[in-house]
Amino acid sequence: MTDTTWPYLDVHQSRTHDPTPYEYKLAATLEEVFTKDGHELTDVVRGLNSRQVHAPDGTPWTEESFRTEIHRLGA
Amino acid sequence: MPLSRQATVEHIYATGLRNQWHPVVPSSFVAPGAMRKVTALGEPWLLFRRSDGTLAMLADRCPHRSAPLSLGIHLGDRVACWYHGVEVATDGTVSAVPGLPGCNLEGRKLVTSLPVREVGGAILAYFGDEQHPEPAELTLPEPLTDPGTDAFLCYAEWNVPWRYAVENLLDPMHGAFLHHESHSMYDGDTTAKFRIRETDRGYFFEKTDQRGVNFDWVELCRTGVDWVDLEIPYPLSAGPGGPFGIVGMVCPVDERRCGVFFWRYRRVRGWQRDTWRFLYRTLIEQRHWDVLEQDRAMLEALPADADQQENLYQHDLGVVRLRRLFRAGAESQSVTS
Ligand code: FES
Ligand SMILES: [Fe+2]
Repeated sequence: MTDTTWPYLDVHQSRTHDPTPYEYKLAATLEEVFTKDGHELTDVVRGLNSRQVHAPDGTPWTEESFRTEIHRLGA
Repeated sequence: MPLSRQATVEHIYATGLRNQWHPVVPSSFVAPGAMRKVTALGEPWLLFRRSDGTLAMLADRCPHRSAPLSLGIHLGDRVACWYHGVEVATDGTVSAVPGLPGCNLEGRKLVTSLPVREVGGAILAYFGDEQHPEPAELTLPEPLTDPGTDAFLCYAEWNVPWRYAVENLLDPMHGAFLHHESHSMYDGDTTAKFRIRETDRGYFFEKTDQRGVNFDWVELCRTGVDWVDLEIPYPLSAGPGGPFGIVGMVCPVDERRCGVFFWRYRRVRGWQRDTWRFLYRTLIEQRHWDVLEQDRAMLEALPADADQQENLYQHDLGVVRLRRLFRAGAESQSVTS
């Protein structure tokens, strides 16, 4: 109710939760894929699968499963 | 009305221009059914939200004997002052004087109530003086309204005069030096020539010899609220979607403090949008924050009289133009002029 909290300096303002180890791993691998393999959806699916970074259920990614999962994570 | 009569040129220049909109705080700072005390343009204010989400902004000063209304009690659609219970509605009207029913304060609009809008997760308010109580026309930044553009707001509070924070944005050349150690501004030439290009809403300040490599251009936009638009390339690791942009606004809090609003935006849709948002939350937001901290560290270290003893060169034309605009605005709004 007062502004005694000055200054507000919060690194993370967009998160709804701390990322899980799975999320960190996926994010870091995506950055590597984008840097080395390309920016197309086919590059992403191939790049993640070739690095053995799979969906939470352990199955290799398809374009459809990646779209669904990244929408859950990034909506 | 607190934004008032003794407003000298110096006071306005130091605490923010009147008769326009300014950002105040993020919307999330005032939950439904809550109140929050804030300072803006050198004055105390009360943000008051009804449980249905409707927001009001009142001068934080009871019309009876000036106790802060922010110490009072939220009564749903009005606030009761803690001191003697006077009740003030969200439009600033005294709705009840419980100690003396029928008192002639009742029904009178004695508290300033500012027009407010919520935009991209931020509260904007119109700060008019006595001659200009009606809100100025407000045109919102397109990156915040375009459905093909996705934005995250970053808000931070700096112990920096508001103008220094705006000037920093009209000074793209600092990107290649101050932010050389960063994820997005490590590249490009460290020498440049700049030009000013007028637009119908402000001006561009841009490099003539490099585009799309570092922080190479910025546009000042005066559309009822002052904001800047700028663009910075992402490294390949950020995936598809091209550069990210920033819509920047600054809240003049008081003579020494400001609140900065940076919407990081990107033109992305579908899986590309989802991927950027995921990477932003997980990894990129921290890197953006580290860059912003470089700005804060530098600006908070500037002496209070930083703009009194300078030796400017060609790269500072954007700042010079900015000061001229703000100075002229303060002069035209001052009652002593
Ligand atoms: S000062 Fe607010 S009721 Fe008296
Ligand atoms: Fe900067």
